[in-house]
Amino acid sequence: MVRVCFAMPALLIIQPKIKMQQRYFNIIESSQREPWSGSSRFIKHTLQIILALIVFIPLWAGAQNQPPLINSKLNGQILDSKTREPLPGASVQIKGTTHQVVTDADGKFTFTTGQKFPYTLIITYIGYEKHEIDATGENISISLKALTNELNEVMVVAYGTQEKRNLIGSVTKAKLDDVKALPGGSFESQLQGKVAGLQISTNTGVPGETINVRLRGATSINGNNNPLYVIDGVFIENGSLQTYSTGGKATSPIADINPNDIESISVLKDAEATVLYGVRGANGAIIVTTKRGKFNQKPKVDLNISQGWSKAAKLWELATGPEHAELVNENFINTGGDPTKVPFQPATTTFPTGRGNPQDQQTYDRLGQVFRTARLQNYDVSVSGGNNGSRYYLGAGYNKQESILRPIDFDRASFKANFDQKLSDKVTIGTSNSFSRTFRNEGRAGDGPAGGILQAALHTPTYLSPYNDQGVLVGRAGFDNVQLLLDNYDVNSTSLRYIGNVYGEWDILPNLKFRSSFSADYNNYDESEYWNTFLLSGSPSGLATSSLGRRSSLINEQTLTYRKKINDKHSFGILIGNTLQSTVYSRTFAQGTGFANNSYKLISSAAVTTGSESWSKRNLASFFAKVDYNFAGKYLFDASVRADGSSAFGDNKKWGYFPGVGAAWNIKEEDFLKDAGFLTDLKLRTSYGITGSQAGASDFASLGLWASGASYQGNPGTAPQQLSNPDLHWERTSQFNVGVDVAFFNNRLGVEFNYYRKYTSDGIIFSPLAATQGFSGVSTNNFEISNKGFELAITSTNIKTKDFTWTTSLNVSRNINKIEKLERPIRFGSRDLILQQEGSPLYSFWVYKELGVDPQTGNVIYEDYNGDGKITADDRQILGSIWPKYYGGLTTNLTYKAFDLGALLSFSYGNKIYNHNRFFGEAGGARDAARVIFASNVDRWQQPGDITDTPRPDGINNNNYKDGGGRWLENGSFLRLRSLTLGYTLPKTLTQKVGIQNLRVYAIGANLFTVTKYTGLDPESSASSAQNEQGIDLGTPPQPRSFQIGVNVTF
Amino acid sequence: MKIQSYIILFVLSLSAASCQKYLDVEPRASISDEQTIFDKASAQTALNGVYSQLASGGYYSTTFQSIGYLSGDNIQWTGSQSQVQELINHNVSTGNATISGAWTAIYYTISRANHIIDKVPGVQDASFADADKNKILGEAYFIRALSYFDLARTWGAAPIITKPTNSPADNVGIGRRPVAEVYAQALNDLNAAEPLLTETTDRYRATRKTVWALKARFYLYQKDWAKAEEYATKLIGDNNYALVKPYSAFFANNVRGTQESVFEIFYSANELNNHRNQWQPQTNGGTRQWAPNDAFVALVNKPDSGGNRNVLVAQDNQGRWYGNLYYRTPAADPSFVIRIAELYLIRAEARAQLGSANDLIGARADLNAVRDRAGLAATTSTTQAALLLSIEQERRIEFALEPHRWFDLVRTGRAQAVLKIADPNKLLLPVPQEQIQIDPSLLPNNPGY
Repeated sequence: MVRVCFAMPALLIIQPKIKMQQRYFNIIESSQREPWSGSSRFIKHTLQIILALIVFIPLWAGAQNQPPLINSKLNGQILDSKTREPLPGASVQIKGTTHQVVTDADGKFTFTTGQKFPYTLIITYIGYEKHEIDATGENISISLKALTNELNEVMVVAYGTQEKRNLIGSVTKAKLDDVKALPGGSFESQLQGKVAGLQISTNTGVPGETINVRLRGATSINGNNNPLYVIDGVFIENGSLQTYSTGGKATSPIADINPNDIESISVLKDAEATVLYGVRGANGAIIVTTKRGKFNQKPKVDLNISQGWSKAAKLWELATGPEHAELVNENFINTGGDPTKVPFQPATTTFPTGRGNPQDQQTYDRLGQVFRTARLQNYDVSVSGGNNGSRYYLGAGYNKQESILRPIDFDRASFKANFDQKLSDKVTIGTSNSFSRTFRNEGRAGDGPAGGILQAALHTPTYLSPYNDQGVLVGRAGFDNVQLLLDNYDVNSTSLRYIGNVYGEWDILPNLKFRSSFSADYNNYDESEYWNTFLLSGSPSGLATSSLGRRSSLINEQTLTYRKKINDKHSFGILIGNTLQSTVYSRTFAQGTGFANNSYKLISSAAVTTGSESWSKRNLASFFAKVDYNFAGKYLFDASVRADGSSAFGDNKKWGYFPGVGAAWNIKEEDFLKDAGFLTDLKLRTSYGITGSQAGASDFASLGLWASGASYQGNPGTAPQQLSNPDLHWERTSQFNVGVDVAFFNNRLGVEFNYYRKYTSDGIIFSPLAATQGFSGVSTNNFEISNKGFELAITSTNIKTKDFTWTTSLNVSRNINKIEKLERPIRFGSRDLILQQEGSPLYSFWVYKELGVDPQTGNVIYEDYNGDGKITADDRQILGSIWPKYYGGLTTNLTYKAFDLGALLSFSYGNKIYNHNRFFGEAGGARDAARVIFASNVDRWQQPGDITDTPRPDGINNNNYKDGGGRWLENGSFLRLRSLTLGYTLPKTLTQKVGIQNLRVYAIGANLFTVTKYTGLDPESSASSAQNEQGIDLGTPPQPRSFQIGVNVTF
Repeated sequence: MKIQSYIILFVLSLSAASCQKYLDVEPRASISDEQTIFDKASAQTALNGVYSQLASGGYYSTTFQSIGYLSGDNIQWTGSQSQVQELINHNVSTGNATISGAWTAIYYTISRANHIIDKVPGVQDASFADADKNKILGEAYFIRALSYFDLARTWGAAPIITKPTNSPADNVGIGRRPVAEVYAQALNDLNAAEPLLTETTDRYRATRKTVWALKARFYLYQKDWAKAEEYATKLIGDNNYALVKPYSAFFANNVRGTQESVFEIFYSANELNNHRNQWQPQTNGGTRQWAPNDAFVALVNKPDSGGNRNVLVAQDNQGRWYGNLYYRTPAADPSFVIRIAELYLIRAEARAQLGSANDLIGARADLNAVRDRAGLAATTSTTQAALLLSIEQERRIEFALEPHRWFDLVRTGRAQAVLKIADPNKLLLPVPQEQIQIDPSLLPNNPGY
């Protein structure tokens, strides 16, 4: 604050010079008289900036105007050296000046200039080698050679682009081309295994649900650890708006985005790359660039259609009715029951009555009822093109995926419109827009009894009939009846999402560019449910609810960039900018109970209705600057700083400052390596910087508040809500990175290695207060976490001949996460299975260590961890975490003539998963009629001498079947064939006859095999989407095995 | 380029000029804690906030209540959370979520009451008459008294907090006071409330009569039989209160605030009492996690012990028994804190303990009043010992789904024998481990934990 507000006197100094000043301030004052809402304040602030620019910039620009002087005229054409096709949109510049023109649709250009012949032209075109030629006045034709050097690849970085050779930070470019047909719903899941350091765990088999994405570990306990998502310059909200419980799962807002519209993805990992994102940069950033047309390009129509099917690779094996009954009887006797009174015996008149002999029990299959072969459909069509001054991209897509678990499905229709227009050779305006509607038939796939489809199907004991004595369908064991669920489930959500911006760019001077943009991320999330009286949630008289969540994020951003090159050796750039962002979340909820009958489904038909509303808002104001310097392409330096002020922080600590520096040495450019032909690239990079996170603080966390809503007898009531913390501030993450890039044999083999250390301090946590204080806690900055690790990526072109190419890329990463400081351990998850404590990694499993089953007694032997001679909760210990020791992926692609074959393997090694399904399913009969028994429990200890790892039944939470038992903590390592693709491109000679440029047919198989020791269905499963409860597998459908066929057509 | 730097400075300064304001965002559902109780209306809403906490899920809606009956011998548990079973097994761990929830809710109630007791006397508002102030203060004192009474009978020694919390340093690290002091605090608060409140009948809020009723229970626990009899008589003799017939008349058919009720907590469609969710079967939108056990089902269905109180249980469509005291849709069942039946049984017990022939006759009469309402014949017990046992048995059934059984057996010293608890330390519940971690001054925990 102080830093910036000192600039106020400057305003006073220049005031007399401004004629429009009076009018400008009138606007501001009248706005203050109005009872403006929050968003108007945002508009007001941005208006201030824009007005200032409108007022001033013409003055400045005016100073630059000079009468043009014509000394020469030149005509020319630019062609591809190989194909001899004209290259539209190439840039032609007179060396030593800033004057440049762009070629038209026929690759032609005309230069009218004050320069006299001869002069030198510099021709640049993306994807081609830079070319210099002397112009003498003759018409010239210039051939450009296409680049094969990946070092010239353009990488998208924060607030700009960079050629790969000039990168200092750790940035990876990812393309979805070979995986974008994979089912799942969001582009994140398609990135799994593709980028070193990006750990993606697809913890659900339900399409469009939130998955776990971590870039270089995790820095926060309660704050969202997802990377920052930026799409075409718009900061995307990535927290789910779902409010209805689907058993711990949440829908993914990223699934609103159609992967087909994505051109490329840039993953920013180290501080150099993310420091310009300041208080949102601590977990890295994923920058998405969507497709745009090209200037001077004829309309191009792309069509992509695919159809497919998916199915669970395997399902759980359950005990039969007789097996279940026997175990229950055995448990009854083992726990001291009278053997003559076992539950399963012929029905008698005694109370309670017997349920029949074990061998007479039936076995009912419920899993088969809920799992299905699901259909997958995808349709995308896009048109792109452009002329001299404008370019466009229009896309439409429809994606429908059934979940393998009835009745869940995912249905996204999306529309995309990108447009750019040059108003003059100095001013360009443009817009990016994506609009989507995502409809979901929801179903509770996770934890929780009422409405829980998978739990009802999996956890209901198999011996229980779906009918009661009167032949009526009934739910059993506290769960719903599966058939009634499938017939009556009526829960759905519709997400309407708009992400877009408009921008203007103005080349004030040849090297000085100003850009201003307005962006919006608007999400309208409409949920509704109706439970009729056949279902537990609707008992006894029906329940309907409606929830309308709205989140709008408005962003205004200005940047001013200056680039200058002095005598070929020195190149430097300056960037300054500011951002204002305002995010409002509001929700309206209504509920009705008491319906006349099951035909009435709207809340308005209910006898009793209730409603509520919530509202929250956060503002962020930021300033940032970056300078970079490049000496002869050998030595690269840069330094950046961002200042972020957030309304969520306490009054004493509103503004955070985030600096970063980076340096790189292009050793290959040194004279002593110039001639080393085998070596294409050798570069050392290093960086250090500080980024932050504000996600751990809720919008009003720093304020001392009293809430209303504590009513009694219908009279309003107020009560203390929270204590203030005026010092609440951002989480601070420092990161050091050192990396090396090496490439050999004309880039046939490339290796990138990075080592990093991240240290997060001032972590935001809700510090608990004693109950005697009347508050549950107060938000403070009080924990520390470290992440360190390395990333190795190898790309190789193994074979490259005219007809045959074979490429592979492998990435392996390791991240070591550790909680360095935490005052008190915090427990998460069912049965406190996850413990966050100082000295251990986040997401560590806290269980009893089991040493085996005593063959004599059938009892589990536990490790007496604290050595006090008793086995108590104090003997629980941390035995692994969800973090793998190593993870990564292997992509390989073969093309032979018109055929292409691609495979993507992803792997994870050393991570643990808690098989919570087994915990319930292997309770040794103690849960009796309340839970299913797994087939694996049948093989239990029965008599002395039995060698088994399944102990003797002895009741719940006694010795053998303890909450937090270690034998259900399993090795979650896996190697998975995520995709296998076979494609065939029809000969152009054939297709061009019918006007088709390109036609490819393909088939994709996903998750065709998984190698794992995990005994559950899917080693990536997690019952919950909550970040602190990952790795507990309960009632979650596995990622399905799927098969799709499709066609790509370009007209 | 002079003008260039002006532009930059200007843009920055414009953003900065009001950046302070831009970064001040106030919530809409809450207000600053700097202005809370400052006039009559704000004092009244704050008092409603105290009742609201008393009515919360952690206290008299569900959790605290459950300690009273789960720890008895009438209820079984059918859910999957073993922490509930710990109460039934009388082997409660310090990490048990039920005790932690109840402890927390009770202290929150005390904390809210402390705001009233601390701030209301100093409010400068001409329209805030002393009579109104006294009523608000008296109700706050009563609720605090009930809170300390519940703490004392559940945990014994406990911290005594009488000031509101204004900063994270307040009301922590002060340690537990002996059980006698906690009971004394409850009595002090009752004595403070008594003159402040008027002798009116209000079944949902505290009045002087509510204070008397709690005093009757308080003296019964203190074994001050004469005083227990004296205060119980004040209510029994008041014709605003009566044993309604039949037993179900005080709760069935969605009634509330019957003559039976001395103090019950008000719930409605907007102020839900989720207690029913634990009791009702799934087909009624509940979970039936807690269900009457076989022994109690047999006992309450026996005509000579249950009588017409068998309405407390019912069967679902699979023939499973469930408790049916809390059943309404929406969940607006009252929580019954003190019923007139309890005062009859308090006086019966007090008289039986006093033990003179006259007293025993009085005791029989009080016991028979309750039995008669349940549709039972007069008791056959005549001796003091037999009468005390009969009263104990009567209470078991009469209050089966209300929080009495455990506390009754503990206060009469019968818990170990009846519930077969070997370790006498288990008669007090442990201070929650998570609270000890936050505030080590709560150590040592109760013996045996």
